[in-house]
Amino acid sequence: MIEIALTVAATLIFLGILFAIIRLVIGPSGADRVAAIDLISIITISLIALYAHLSGRFIYLDVALIYGLLSFLAVLAIARYLERGL
Amino acid sequence: MLDLLVLLICASIVVSAALAVCLGGLLPAMISAGLASLFASACYVLLAAPDVAMAEASIGSGLSTLLFLYTIRRIGRTED
Repeated sequence: MIEIALTVAATLIFLGILFAIIRLVIGPSGADRVAAIDLISIITISLIALYAHLSGRFIYLDVALIYGLLSFLAVLAIARYLERGL
Repeated sequence: MLDLLVLLICASIVVSAALAVCLGGLLPAMISAGLASLFASACYVLLAAPDVAMAEASIGSGLSTLLFLYTIRRIGRTED
């Protein structure tokens, strides 16, 4: 039962990454692409959390935590660049 | 299942590196390069190297993107 749930979760995670990459490709403006990379960062954090449960090593949750802080930094830098502030 | 996850993440690295070359303009290229670094960091986690993944996420995805953006803003070239 838990295997089915984890497989469905991994499938949904990769479908989300696929659709966000499609938005990254066809996004006409820069703001669309920033939203897409923010979405991909958050989906990747959920992938790392899923893998921490799957492998039973909960030290990987710390990686997910640092990942969330730093992806926020990158998105903030791109937003400052778009507003001509960097 | 782990093999499939690593394979899909590596395919995502290749796709985002190709996008960094193929997408026109400076900002999409920088975003795609940061995305390739982000997927490489996830791949390191899946290959049981969390310390390398932390270094890659901080330097490759955060600091490198910031330095590229700052440099392109400083040299004054508008994005085309």
